[in-house]
Amino acid sequence: MVNALVPETAERAARRPPSAGRAVDGVGRTRRRQVVVAYLFLAPTLLFFAVFLILPLGFALLLSMSRWAGFDLGDIHPVGLDNFTGLFADGSTFLAPILTNTLLFALGTVALALTGSVLVATCIDKLRFQGLWRTLYFLPIVTTVVAVGNVWKYMYEPGGLVNGVLNALGIGSVAFLQDPDTALPAVVVVQAWASVGSAILILTAGLKSVPESYYEAAALDGAGPVTVFFRITLPLLRPSLLFVCITQFLTGLQSFALIIVMTKGGPGDATDVAALEMYRQAFSYGDWGTASAAAFVLFVVVLVVTLLQLWIFRRKGEDT
Amino acid sequence: MNRRRFPWLSYLLVVTGAVLTVVPFLDMVMTSFKGPGEAGTLPYRFLPKAFDLSNYRAAIHQLDLPVLFRNSVIATGVITASVLLTSSLAGYALAKLRFPGRDFVFRLVLSTMMFPPFLFFIPHFLILVHWPLAGGNDLFGRGGAGLTVSIVALAMPFLVNGFGIFLMRQFMVSIPDEILEAARIDGAGEFSLWWRIVVPQTKPVVVTLGLLTFVDAWNEYIWALLVSTADPDVMTLPVGVQLLQDYVDPTRTMPIVMAGLVLSILPVLILFLLLQKYYIRGVMLSGLK
Repeated sequence: MVNALVPETAERAARRPPSAGRAVDGVGRTRRRQVVVAYLFLAPTLLFFAVFLILPLGFALLLSMSRWAGFDLGDIHPVGLDNFTGLFADGSTFLAPILTNTLLFALGTVALALTGSVLVATCIDKLRFQGLWRTLYFLPIVTTVVAVGNVWKYMYEPGGLVNGVLNALGIGSVAFLQDPDTALPAVVVVQAWASVGSAILILTAGLKSVPESYYEAAALDGAGPVTVFFRITLPLLRPSLLFVCITQFLTGLQSFALIIVMTKGGPGDATDVAALEMYRQAFSYGDWGTASAAAFVLFVVVLVVTLLQLWIFRRKGEDT
Repeated sequence: MNRRRFPWLSYLLVVTGAVLTVVPFLDMVMTSFKGPGEAGTLPYRFLPKAFDLSNYRAAIHQLDLPVLFRNSVIATGVITASVLLTSSLAGYALAKLRFPGRDFVFRLVLSTMMFPPFLFFIPHFLILVHWPLAGGNDLFGRGGAGLTVSIVALAMPFLVNGFGIFLMRQFMVSIPDEILEAARIDGAGEFSLWWRIVVPQTKPVVVTLGLLTFVDAWNEYIWALLVSTADPDVMTLPVGVQLLQDYVDPTRTMPIVMAGLVLSILPVLILFLLLQKYYIRGVMLSGLK
C-alpha cells in the first residue's frame, strides 16, 4: 500500500504544470488533504482514547456512586456519595491503617531510595567503569515484579539469605513478612531496592551539569569532601533531587503489585495499601462501587501531588 | 582533583551497593540449582551442593512453559508493534500536519499521562466483560464473558500509549519542514512522506520506545492476572510463575519456582544488556519509572 501510493502521486505531480495560480490552488488542496490525512493518522489513537480512556473514566465515576452486585448492567443502583462516606465512616479501615500504610510505604521508599541513590550517584561520578556500575544498579528495574517479590520473599524466610546473614552475625532469625511490625518496612526495602537504579540515573544527569570549576575553586580553598558535598553538590543537585523525590513518591502511592506478590496485604492489614484495597474490593469481593470510590480517593491524592509537582517546577522555571 | 581525593571510599560504597543489588539475582540463580530439601533450610547456604538442572526441567513441565512463553511473546509483540505504529502516526500528525483541533488532541495526549493506571483496572475489566458480540455476548454486551479470558484482552488496554505519542512528536518536531515541503512539491503523499522520510529519521526513538514498551509489557502482572487466572491457556509468564509459587511448599519446591523466575526474566535481561543505551535514554526521557 505504501509503495503503491508513491508512483501514483509522483506521476500526478509530474503532470501538473508549474504555474503561479495553480500553486496557490495546490496549497489549498494540500491543506485540505492534510486535514483528512491528519485525522486518518489519528483515528486509531482517538478511537482508543474514546474506548479505553474517556468511557472508562465516566464508567468508573458512575460506579463510584452506585451499588452494583455482579455483572448485569441492569442491576446498577445509584447511591449518591454513600460509597465515599462508607470509606470514611467509623469502623472503616480505609483511613487507618490503609491510607496511613500507603503514605508510610511511599515516604519510606522515597527516604531509602533517595539516600541510597544520592550516595551512590555522587560516588559513581568519581569512578571508572561508570557504565558497568549503572547497568548493575539498573537490573531490578527491568525485572518483573513477580521475580523481585518472590526472590525477596524467599530471602526473608527464616532459612533465607537475609536471616542467614543475621545468623552469621549472631542474631536470631526474624520472620520479617509474618510479623506485623516488620512486614511493612520489609516491603519498603524491596520497593526502594528496585527503584534506586532510575534515581541514580536522573541524579547522575544532574551531577554532570555541575561545572567542574566549582570543585576546583573549592579545592583551592582547601574544602574537604564532606564540605564539598554539603556546600556544592547537594545544593546544585536540588532540582534533580526534588524531581526524583516527587516521582518516586507518586510511584509509591500507587504501588501494589509488589505487595500482592509478597504479602497480599498481610499479616492482618499490616501491609494493606489503597490501590490493593481497591483491587481486593473489586476482584475478591465483587464490590465495584466501594472499589471505584477507593480508586477515586487515591486518584485525588495522586492528583494533588502531581499538581504540586507541576507548580513547583513551573515556579522553578520562572526563577531561573 | 578534589573529587578524587578518597576514591577508595567511593569504591567501597559503590561496590557494596552493587553487591546488594546483584545478590538477590545470584541467590535466585543459585537456588534454582539446589536439590530437594536444600533450599530454605537452616543453616543458610549460598551455593548449591551440586548444580542440579532438574529444577529447570520440572519448571518447564509444571508450568507448561511453552504456552506461557507463547502468550507472553504474542501479547508483548502485539503491544510493542501497536504502540510504535500508533505513536509514530499520531506523532507525525501532531508534529507536522496542520488541522483544526490539533492543540486539543495534543492536550488530550498529555492529559492521558496524568491518569494513574490503577484508575482503569476496574472499568477496563468491565468493558471487556461487556464487549459486544464477543465471548457469547449479544449486541449489548450481555450474556457471556466477553473478551476477558482471551489472549486479545492481554494486549488491548496497552495498544496506544500517550507517552509514546508525546515522545515521537517531540522528536519529529525537529525534522526540518523544508524536506517535507520539497517532497510535497514533488507530489509525494503524506503517507509516503511519513513512511519514506519521517520513519527512517526516527529510528533511534523507535528503538528506545520499542524497548521501553517491550520491557513493560513483558513484565506486566496485575492486568494479566485479571484476564487470565481463569484460563491457563491465556496466562503469561509472570502470572504462571506466580501461580506455581502460590501452591507450593516453600522449602521443597522453591528451587523450581526460582528456575521458573530465571527463565521468565531471561529474555528481557538479554535484550536490556544488548540495547541498554536506548533503554536508559528512554527512562531518562520519561523520568517516571
